[in-house]
Amino acid sequence: MTESAAGPRSRHLRFLVARRLLQLGVAVLFVGANAWGWKILQGNLSSSVLLGTIPFADPFATLQLLAAGGMLATNALLGAGITAVVYAVFGGRMFCSWICPMNPVTDLANYLGRRFPWFRAGSRQDPRKPLARSVRTWFMALALVLSAVLGTAAFEAVSPVGMLQRGLVFGMGLGWWAIAGVFLFDLFIQRNGFCGHLCPLGAFYEVIGRFSLLRVIHDHKKCTSCWDCLRVCPESQVLNLVSKGSGSVLSGACTNCGRCVEVCHDDALALTFRQQGIAQSSGG
Amino acid sequence: MSGAKDMDRNETGRREFFSRLARGAAAAVAGGVVWGGLVREGQNAPLALRPPGALSESEFLAKCIRCGLCVEACPYDTLQLAGPGSGEPTGTPSLKPREVPCYLCTDIPCTVACPTGALDLALVSTDNGRTLDVNQTRIGLAVMDYHNCIAAWGLRCDACYRACPLIDKAITLEHTRNERTGRHAMLLPKVQTDVCTGCGLCERACIVEEAAIFVLPHEVALGKVGDNYVRGWDEVDQQRVNPDGGAADQVDQSGAGALDYLNDGVLGGEVDDD
Amino acid sequence: MALSRRDFMKQAAAVSAAGAIGMKVAPEALAAAQEAEKGWKWDKGVCRFCGTGCGIMLATRNDKIVAVKGDPAAPVNRGLNCIKGYFNAKIMYGKDRLTQPLLRVNDAGEFDKQGKFKPVSWDKALDVMADKFKEAYNELGPTGIGVFGSGQYTIHEGYVMSKLVKGGLRSNNIDPNARHCMASAVVGFIQAFGIDEPSGNYDDIEYTDTAVMWGANMAEMHPILWARITDRKLAEPDRVKLINLTTYTNRCSNLSDTEIIFKPQTDLAIWNYILHEIVYNRPEMIDQEFVDKYTVFATGPCDVGYGMRSNPDHPKYTELERETMVKQVRKVLSEAEGKTLAHLGYKAGDTMENKRAAGAIKHWIIKFEDFKKGLEPYTLDFVAELAKGDPDESLESFKAKLQQLADLYLEKDRKIVSYWTMGMNQHTRGSWVNEAAYAVHLMLGKQAQPGNGAFSLTGQPSACGTAREVGTFAHRLPADLVVANAKHREFSEKMWKLPAKTLNGKPGSHYTKLLRDIEDGKIKWSWVQVCNPWQNTASANHWIKAAREMDNFIVVSDVYPTISAKVADLILPSAMIFEKWGAYGNAERRTQHWKQQVTPVGESMPDVWQAMEFAKRITLKEVWGETKVDAGLTLPDVMPEARAMGYTDDDTLFDVLFANKEARSYKWPDPIGKDTLNTLAEGDKRKVAGFEGYGFFVHKYLWEEYRKFGVGHMHDLADFDTYHKVRGMKWPVIDGKETAWRFNADYDPYVASKNPGEQFAFYGPALKAMPAGDLAGPIKGDKVKLPNKAKIFFRPYMDPPEMPDNEWPFWLCTGRVLEHWHTGSMTMRVPELYRAVPEAVCYMNGSDARKKGIDDGDAVWIESRRGKVKAHAELRGRNTMPPGTVMIPFFDERVLVNKVCLDATCPISKETDFKKCAVKVYKA
Ligand code: SF4
Ligand code: SF4
Ligand code: SF4
Ligand code: SF4
Repeated sequence: MTESAAGPRSRHLRFLVARRLLQLGVAVLFVGANAWGWKILQGNLSSSVLLGTIPFADPFATLQLLAAGGMLATNALLGAGITAVVYAVFGGRMFCSWICPMNPVTDLANYLGRRFPWFRAGSRQDPRKPLARSVRTWFMALALVLSAVLGTAAFEAVSPVGMLQRGLVFGMGLGWWAIAGVFLFDLFIQRNGFCGHLCPLGAFYEVIGRFSLLRVIHDHKKCTSCWDCLRVCPESQVLNLVSKGSGSVLSGACTNCGRCVEVCHDDALALTFRQQGIAQSSGG
Repeated sequence: MSGAKDMDRNETGRREFFSRLARGAAAAVAGGVVWGGLVREGQNAPLALRPPGALSESEFLAKCIRCGLCVEACPYDTLQLAGPGSGEPTGTPSLKPREVPCYLCTDIPCTVACPTGALDLALVSTDNGRTLDVNQTRIGLAVMDYHNCIAAWGLRCDACYRACPLIDKAITLEHTRNERTGRHAMLLPKVQTDVCTGCGLCERACIVEEAAIFVLPHEVALGKVGDNYVRGWDEVDQQRVNPDGGAADQVDQSGAGALDYLNDGVLGGEVDDD
Repeated sequence: MALSRRDFMKQAAAVSAAGAIGMKVAPEALAAAQEAEKGWKWDKGVCRFCGTGCGIMLATRNDKIVAVKGDPAAPVNRGLNCIKGYFNAKIMYGKDRLTQPLLRVNDAGEFDKQGKFKPVSWDKALDVMADKFKEAYNELGPTGIGVFGSGQYTIHEGYVMSKLVKGGLRSNNIDPNARHCMASAVVGFIQAFGIDEPSGNYDDIEYTDTAVMWGANMAEMHPILWARITDRKLAEPDRVKLINLTTYTNRCSNLSDTEIIFKPQTDLAIWNYILHEIVYNRPEMIDQEFVDKYTVFATGPCDVGYGMRSNPDHPKYTELERETMVKQVRKVLSEAEGKTLAHLGYKAGDTMENKRAAGAIKHWIIKFEDFKKGLEPYTLDFVAELAKGDPDESLESFKAKLQQLADLYLEKDRKIVSYWTMGMNQHTRGSWVNEAAYAVHLMLGKQAQPGNGAFSLTGQPSACGTAREVGTFAHRLPADLVVANAKHREFSEKMWKLPAKTLNGKPGSHYTKLLRDIEDGKIKWSWVQVCNPWQNTASANHWIKAAREMDNFIVVSDVYPTISAKVADLILPSAMIFEKWGAYGNAERRTQHWKQQVTPVGESMPDVWQAMEFAKRITLKEVWGETKVDAGLTLPDVMPEARAMGYTDDDTLFDVLFANKEARSYKWPDPIGKDTLNTLAEGDKRKVAGFEGYGFFVHKYLWEEYRKFGVGHMHDLADFDTYHKVRGMKWPVIDGKETAWRFNADYDPYVASKNPGEQFAFYGPALKAMPAGDLAGPIKGDKVKLPNKAKIFFRPYMDPPEMPDNEWPFWLCTGRVLEHWHTGSMTMRVPELYRAVPEAVCYMNGSDARKKGIDDGDAVWIESRRGKVKAHAELRGRNTMPPGTVMIPFFDERVLVNKVCLDATCPISKETDFKKCAVKVYKA
């Protein structure tokens, strides 16, 4: 297993640990707000208030509501704006790997799939790839269309992500079944199936994260072509420049999780702010 | 139209393109139908009681972002976010007054907390949000089942009446004589539709096994009088009806319009079977 | 701050959610209901709760109460009930019913005051209890022990305890919680009529044109009677007038024609205003013939204090508490008192030395002129100014209301009934206000006739039947006899077959004094039955401390754990109302009996059994020797005479008092008890502590012996069997007929024999020989005999000892709600009632609250000189408070409002004024 390779373990897990801590921290603050009245971060990922003043809102949920015809109050619009700008300018699709509580679930499925390949024995990927990654983009569009037709935020009404993040704070109800569904789907049917192929929220961040500053860069010269990075990457297609040429990963689909950087023995990858030069030289 | 050249050049590619397009469209339609159905199913919860200040159910669903800030703001744990499988749109807030009613906080923290305006301060205030007036809350309407209300049996209950924060306004007592005993009166609680806030304190208090007074959303609880009549003794009743009035809908007795009817040869109307 | 409010709410919500779970009917019960009435047996009973005394029917199946219904044949309620009555079946089987004796023990299993409660056998419990009794008795004599009794005792229980404590133990330290509720009414009756209990009955409602509520929230506290009042109003809406006099808007105001919000304590001034109106402005309205023939005028001393401890420097009280306590000794008179006591030569600012506290009950005959002179200050202007209770009301409007009130009383052919409950009784001048009510009715000749009269509404189901008629008060014996009267003692000794001079002539400690005695170490053993003194008595902090920190032994017999049980040393599990034979007497003199319906749960046993088993452990020689009561009184050794009567030294009190020859002549089985359980006579299937019954019909014996006290003495009760055939009867029952209105020849056969040829006879024998005098005091001379006369008292208005000021700006009034019974030990366990009113709130005026930054639902502290309690503020809802007054019900042990209340009492009746003390209220 790649994680057991040489080097201080902490360094090899630094992003993973940081992500888990952030995911956990956000969840704890939300739970604390509901259960004990903490005033640090109230609400949930759909919309929240930091320190009683700064609003955040899920921009995709906001878009759905706008599509549904809801003339939202300024607080929500402001919150969505702030959130969208943060990701668009800075973090890219970072939400998916650093904040979203579904991420540990799908990561676990992926890990188990890699560690015990027999999980996936019966599910050899169909060569015709029935589930293109573009499906999630379609779903994103569909979510907006359905919101308009049904007059409510259509994805929010069924979203396992929403069920999980709300459930953690306000009680899961039957939500565990949806989470289990995602987990089993990812484990048995389609590697990285939910986030990589279905989730319209991921697709949304893919779109707005297209031009963010935070990027994975690759130094072709150091690369030994061991492919460890591709094995751990949930969106491995974005690493198509590895061992081909130096440059930045420019696809919005990259979640900036930094797993590739961590597992690279050769320092051929780094998570850093977009550098003009390298960005130009990226290959396709 | 840019695909035309490709079609000419590559028949296979063209067919594949169309077939992929068709499959994609089919998948989208199928997915959309299933997904839409799921959403509709969840939306179909006409009995959900929304927090104070909530817009009408359809407007509410178009605005509620399901963040739970109202839930957290409520000091009484009145509000709950619907969990998946609860039969209500998942993640939307509602209350079950039999468990925890709304205590009508004068500072209406739930409405104030709402970031999207799904809970609208204008609905629970005078002068558009500046002076809060929680008594304008219309969560729903308390409805009585007199068949199972023991006050209607003649027993001295009126627990709901005494529990009402707007006692003698939202619930009044109707006094009638109990002919059976000849010496006791019945003190019958009666909900005043135009004052009841739907807070549900009455429902919670009701002392029979399943409450004989319960809050229903206005959409479910209320009838509606047409726009064709205005109460002559009520100066402001005209505000109730829409400006076009209500004279339009009629039963088309003639079937084909007056002229055709008049010119139709048969004399004497009979109700016939065919 | 927000956090604590939230936490508080969450707790409450969690508790209530748990309560809600209990709502669901078990499937078995449901199935049984569907099986129609198969296996159900219906029998008559009485509602366990209020003084209204509704008849109910009980259904039993498989030795369990399964349902109740209102008894259609019961004249009071004709098949109806209020929601407490509705839940009579559901009070029986709470999860935490006490089912075993529990004793505080150490690790070795021996009694230890600091130990934890552990189940013990009945034998052990009773042995420890008797040992501890003997320790205290031997050390301190008959005043070293005390029994807290109840207006919810069955008549038999009250009788057994009275006989045991007074006749057996030679102690008068037994007093019922009815002291807190009816004592002032009793004094009013005795002083005005010479005999306890109302002349009228509930049918007055149907006969009257006017019902005036003087501190009686009948709409909540006598729910079924209120339904009758309402019906009367509906029958003739224009003719019938309802007036609600109260210190805040309560539920009676809803239907009343006029609501009069008066300042606490000023009801007496309002009565005097009516008298002033009669005497000064419209003397032609006096029913002169009636007054001349049947009444005399009287008054009594004013420097009588407020029933507080006479030693304000008591070491266990704080400086703050002393500020009020010192008024017991002397009080600086207020402006108002300067006017109302002017007839005694006082003026505002004078200090009144309360020298006659001990003689508060004394009174003397005065002339009409004196009576009139005393009333001089009570003009409309003066009284309106003094009594207006709502600062937001205009003086003019208030005056108009008082005028209207007087007009209604004075209207020639208008029938009028004055009703009161705790508003007038729980009052530091409670006896006086009661007397003032009779004064008005007597002056106008509107008393003791259908639809006319002053009517005290009892709170408890058997405050009349047991506490008063049986005489479980510290100064009473059955049928209005009193311990202080040697002839009465002699009569009672004969009735009870005791040696002469067995009975102790010194009245014992009243309810509150029992607690004071415990605090002072003067009582070291006490027994609490069917009441909850540690929750229901003012200055509760002191009593809780005293119970736990002093060297004493407290036994609590109850059905559920209460605050009192918590502070006790031994808890005895009692049988509930329908688990034993019994009888209650309601507010209209109606005595109602029931039979045992089911076997008691667990090892619980009836209170009568507990008393008798305890009595088995006391031998005559242990209590009938020479016994010192106090410096002035030593009870003689009566053993020689006892031996002469055939008793032996080692006979137990059980043998002598309860299982004597006469008792054993009441055989069981008896036709009246056919197919009926009788735990006392024959034991029951459980054989608790090996008990297989006493072998005779205990209840019938007790009843027949008890009723001999009253027969021929204006207290005639019917025989045992009769009550099991009828739906209660109003005593006196003469020749099998009940008496609807007493003192009136048309209805009361006693009038013909006592006052032949007259229409009325107020024939009560008590306090009917009086000295005469003037307003200042009696003048030496022969006592005047007053046969068949009622007394019309003049009583001046006086302030209560504690009134709001800058530091303590609010009046605190306590009371009840319809949903809960007294300290809530039963009704708070009924899920539906719990959910309807889960906690006691602090009703408060909105503008008062806003000034203190208090919002609806905020937790607030209510603090007095004695302690504080936390409750949620309620600015809306059933009670609307005028500025300056807050109200908190006392049913909720988590809002123990009696920690805040003042234990000042009426100096005559010793009934605590739970309606007035001064507090501050601030956000918690
Ligand atoms: S008004 Fe108060 S009690 Fe009612 S839902 Fe809002 S926050 Fe909760
Ligand atoms: S009638 Fe019921 S729901 Fe309506 S305001 Fe009163 S308590 Fe609330
Ligand atoms: S609480 Fe229930 S049973 Fe009682 S009067 Fe109200 S609706 Fe009727
Ligand atoms: S509590 Fe009083 S009014 Fe209610 S049913 Fe019992 S006796 Fe009747």
